[in-house]
Amino acid sequence: MADKQYAIVLDTKKCLNCKACTVACKFENFVPVGDDTYRIWVTEMPLQGKFPRLHQEYQPSQCQHCENAPCEKVCPTKATFRTREGVVLVDYKKCILCKACMAACPYDARFVSDLHEAVEKCTFCMHRVSEGREPACVETCPTKVRVFGDMNDPASDAARLLSSRQHYQLKPEKNTRPRLFYLA
Amino acid sequence: MFQSLDKYRSMIRINKDVPSMPFIILGAILLFLGFIGVVRVFWQGHEAVYGVTRQVPWGLLIATYAYFVITSTGLAFIGGLGHAFGVTVFAKMSRRIVLLAFIILLAGFTQIGMELGHPFRLLYLFILSPNFSAPIVWMGLFYSIELVILAIELYVVFNPSGTNHKVAAVLGFFALLVGIVATSNLGFVFGSLTARPFYHGVYFPMYLVVSGIAGGAALLMLIYNIIYKFNVPDFYSDAMAGLGKLMGICLGVMIFLLSWKIVSSLYTQPQDSVEAVTTLLKGPLSSHFWIGEILLALCLPVALLLISRVKNLKALGMAGLAFMIGMFFTRYDFIVAGQLPPMRAGLEGAGVETIAGLVQYSPSVGEWMVFALGLGLFLFLYFMSERFLVLDEQTRQ
Repeated sequence: MADKQYAIVLDTKKCLNCKACTVACKFENFVPVGDDTYRIWVTEMPLQGKFPRLHQEYQPSQCQHCENAPCEKVCPTKATFRTREGVVLVDYKKCILCKACMAACPYDARFVSDLHEAVEKCTFCMHRVSEGREPACVETCPTKVRVFGDMNDPASDAARLLSSRQHYQLKPEKNTRPRLFYLA
Repeated sequence: MFQSLDKYRSMIRINKDVPSMPFIILGAILLFLGFIGVVRVFWQGHEAVYGVTRQVPWGLLIATYAYFVITSTGLAFIGGLGHAFGVTVFAKMSRRIVLLAFIILLAGFTQIGMELGHPFRLLYLFILSPNFSAPIVWMGLFYSIELVILAIELYVVFNPSGTNHKVAAVLGFFALLVGIVATSNLGFVFGSLTARPFYHGVYFPMYLVVSGIAGGAALLMLIYNIIYKFNVPDFYSDAMAGLGKLMGICLGVMIFLLSWKIVSSLYTQPQDSVEAVTTLLKGPLSSHFWIGEILLALCLPVALLLISRVKNLKALGMAGLAFMIGMFFTRYDFIVAGQLPPMRAGLEGAGVETIAGLVQYSPSVGEWMVFALGLGLFLFLYFMSERFLVLDEQTRQ
């Protein structure tokens, strides 16, 4: 049987910009307070249309857990690695803080953590997933923007959305093959 | 045992005619400032002392690391030409070449050692858990080998029983080869970054090697003028002319490479790369670029080499001085420019602050202090060697 392959599917049209996901992430993962220290973010996209017919979308994002992860390739000590489930993680004890992964990441998803004394990023909340729970950002979202699941399980909500709806990935030209899918 | 020590006494002499004391004192002051910087980093932490950010993770210390180590490999290249490839004009400079290359490499290691958050982890993780797909692993390996080769070369060229030329030739060849590989690999540390189009590709691996050789020649021309108070003896005329010609060729190649880099970035306007080049041409790095990179590192040295026809040794010294100052800006520009275009637009909520579409970086006092450590180490160790070691016995006895 094939390994699970985790992914998050996002329907940005549902996003209210309440930022509950960013708060949940901070509390769940003890992310230090600071302008530069965050694992996930919600970008307010530019206004579209003309007054009075205006429209605005928000784009929540985080580490894309790329299949072809540039951060993993440039990490000199294998501190950054991919699990069998396709989740990109950092072994804090192996990080020498050369910051090559930060320079290599096309999504600016990494930062230096004073708490871990290493480079930190989204982990898909693997400590929760291993207990059968969803990542904190997924669970807390009031409108269910994010859907977390196993792409190899056709019955999962994530797989069903991907098979039934048009979707796109961020910066496809970088050939990183992200595991975050945005519904069109 | 005392007899063998006596042999080495012939290598030691107080050279009062060499103007080394001002540089030793300057080096000591810079070392002291650097020491304060190091204490601050260990006391307060890297993040509190350095000005690098999430968006610009590599700053001044990566630039100064590149500045030092690439100059070192350029010197090793010139030394290798003298020892291994029969360019005998450079052989008479071999002691200074090897000594400079060794000390300036050590200076570079101080910069990367202070830049890394966990330099001691690196020492065992490079052995226990190396990722061979990471260019940094190869860079570390090759520069470590270079340091060992240069240390052995030092022993060989300072052997009081005389230099074993066959051994020196083999060492010189490997110092040249490993130096080129190490520097081009340093370029690939940046060239491998697909996220940053300004870096990505073969340009920097090539440019760094060529500019390193020019840097090695420039430093030698400058040092010889300092040591001989801008009155270099005729004994070195041919070697100095050779350095001038070598530097001239490298400058020509650098102008060629830089021109195409700019044209290719502006012509088709690949995302981010054009923004990085624009920061150099008319953005926040434009004064560095036009004054440091173009005027001091390229135009002035080329003009001095052409006007002097590579014969006036004072002009060669001035060309070397201009180039070494300009090259500092060149290294800084190349490190910083590639990181100023943000990985996502600085919109509300994105967590990225931009001004005119670019993120900002300015080195902190702490970073300048660590640079002072490297520069101070170089000045102090090298000019102490000038004061107390016999570096060119042919003319001084």
